[in-house]
Amino acid sequence: MIRARKLCKTYRVHRRPPGLLAALRSVIRRRYEEVRALVDVSFDIAPGERVGFLGPNGAGKTTALKILSGLLYPTSGSVTVGDFVPQERRTEFLHMITLVMGQKQQLLWDLPPAETFAMNRALFDLPRREADATQQELVDLLEIGPLIGKPTRQLSLGERMKCELVAALLHRPKVLFLDEPTIGLDVSMQARVRDFIRRYNESTGASVLLTSHYMEDVAALCPRVIVIDKGHLIYDGDLRTLARRIRPEKRITMHFSSVPAPGDLDRLGNCVARSELQATLAVPAAQVTEAVRAALSRLPISDISVEDPPLEEIMQEFLDGQSANGGARSA
Amino acid sequence: MRPLRHYARLLAVQMRTSLTLAVQYRFDFFLEGALALFWLAITLIPLLVVYSRRESVAGWSFPEALVVVGWFSVLKAVLDGGVTPSLNFVVEGVRKGTLDFILLKPADAQFLVSTARFEPWRILDFLGSIAVLAYAFHRLGRVPSVGDFMVGLALFGVALILLYSLWILVVSVSFRVVKVDNLSYLFISIFDAGRWPIDVFKGALRLIFTVVFPLALMTTYPAQALLGKLTSAHALLAGTGGLAFAAIARLVWKRALRAYTSASS
Ligand SMILES: Nc1ncnc2c1ncn2[C@@H]1O[C@H](COP(=O)(O)OP(=O)(O)O)[C@@H](O)[C@H]1O
Ligand SMILES: [Mg+2]
Repeated sequence: MIRARKLCKTYRVHRRPPGLLAALRSVIRRRYEEVRALVDVSFDIAPGERVGFLGPNGAGKTTALKILSGLLYPTSGSVTVGDFVPQERRTEFLHMITLVMGQKQQLLWDLPPAETFAMNRALFDLPRREADATQQELVDLLEIGPLIGKPTRQLSLGERMKCELVAALLHRPKVLFLDEPTIGLDVSMQARVRDFIRRYNESTGASVLLTSHYMEDVAALCPRVIVIDKGHLIYDGDLRTLARRIRPEKRITMHFSSVPAPGDLDRLGNCVARSELQATLAVPAAQVTEAVRAALSRLPISDISVEDPPLEEIMQEFLDGQSANGGARSA
Repeated sequence: MRPLRHYARLLAVQMRTSLTLAVQYRFDFFLEGALALFWLAITLIPLLVVYSRRESVAGWSFPEALVVVGWFSVLKAVLDGGVTPSLNFVVEGVRKGTLDFILLKPADAQFLVSTARFEPWRILDFLGSIAVLAYAFHRLGRVPSVGDFMVGLALFGVALILLYSLWILVVSVSFRVVKVDNLSYLFISIFDAGRWPIDVFKGALRLIFTVVFPLALMTTYPAQALLGKLTSAHALLAGTGGLAFAAIARLVWKRALRAYTSASS
């Protein structure tokens, strides 16, 4: 469905030096700086796949989505989405895709979302009955029936995002580009937006490419992730596999009925969090069973659980490791 | 036929949106409409001052010059009501990066930005300007012949095309120079010179206002047509000029769109 080969994007930015004199001089002799936002990025995405783009701020995620949706020309390399070259912005291509941006909105600020929906229906020249049905279905799924008649500016951030999604999906696109769609939303709203995206994907078979810098967000939705850092693709695959490779360890969290002797705890593993009646140990994955058995027999346990280490932490370690060895690629 | 129907539907929706917005802020718009009428009256003052001392300026009598002013005001009403609002819409879109959404729609982007916003209350301004024109002809003591009127009307079309093309050029520049507020201000300031008959200007300015920023084609020539003073050569020049500008504008727009890199986020 989507095919990117050796994609590069270099922005040329005009540097405006501080100070009036220097600014005047720069009018005559413009100094340009090059920002390499994407460097040789290649990947393929199959129809119906849900893929997460991960990476810190400024990694190049938005740039990649803009190229895929035809808003930007790549500096070099090639992209196709379906049978189309996005930059040509063919009508059939535009009917096939959608782009949702968490930081920009297409909803008309002073008018109710319903007006934007009407506008998009005209723009995509949708037959009336079909568009009515789609709109109703999306509105019901997101439970925003009472909202679409209120001026957009009176809606909360989460309500606006739901309406953005409806506006973006009215033409039933086959490829969804979602740039930080959950940014700024609270945890429960994030979960609902995620749920909705999954359901849309499962019921329509559309491909979903989603960026986020919340790991949990992506982990919950996307079986496959592509990690970009400073414009380089540094990982493409399953997130749990990556996590296991970076940190082949588990976290054992224990609650005690009485304060255990300090020596007993240290012998079991590396203690990463500790309070009076609670402790969390980091234990190599292979030794978890043994450690749990030992803990149960030796410590005054009232409750015990085993979990993966937090993804955010793992990703940080991964990125730190990458820059330590010069951004060398591995996948 | 299908594309035509599509665009007709789009235009209707765009106009409805503008109208809905206008109704929401009807107080503002009435106020602005009234203000515009006030400014129309103010614009007559320089003319009155100049003609209080002389019978004619550069071969133009007072009522004749008034025809130019009336014509200029009609155009300005169209500019303020139909062109500037869309300009502001695009400039904001470029600054905030929301122009992205326009480019993602399966319709001609130039059409979409050009029809994005209207200010329907400017119709007040428009009617006021027509009144000035009518008064000018009343003072002249005659009405344009049917032929002159038709030529005038055709040149009105040319003037609109020119205005619009110049506007598209400004928008194209806004893709490169994101801070374009000054540019639209400059545009409006230059346009203001159109209230004077072109013969008032000498030398380089005259050439600029005929060829580069063709105010002459926009206001003087149509006024001359109404007064029955325009030669057919000039009428032809105006027509060709209008088409040339439209073609150039379309070309520049296409190139600018290519260079557009949406605001970073
Ligand atoms: N329009 C632009 N002009 C110049 N530089 C840009 C532009 N957009 C993005 N950049 C730069 O490109 C890099 C990648 O940006 P972006 O793709 O927005 O990253 P992300 O979405 O991963 O946070 C950043 O260094 C950013 O400053
Ligand atoms: Mg981004």
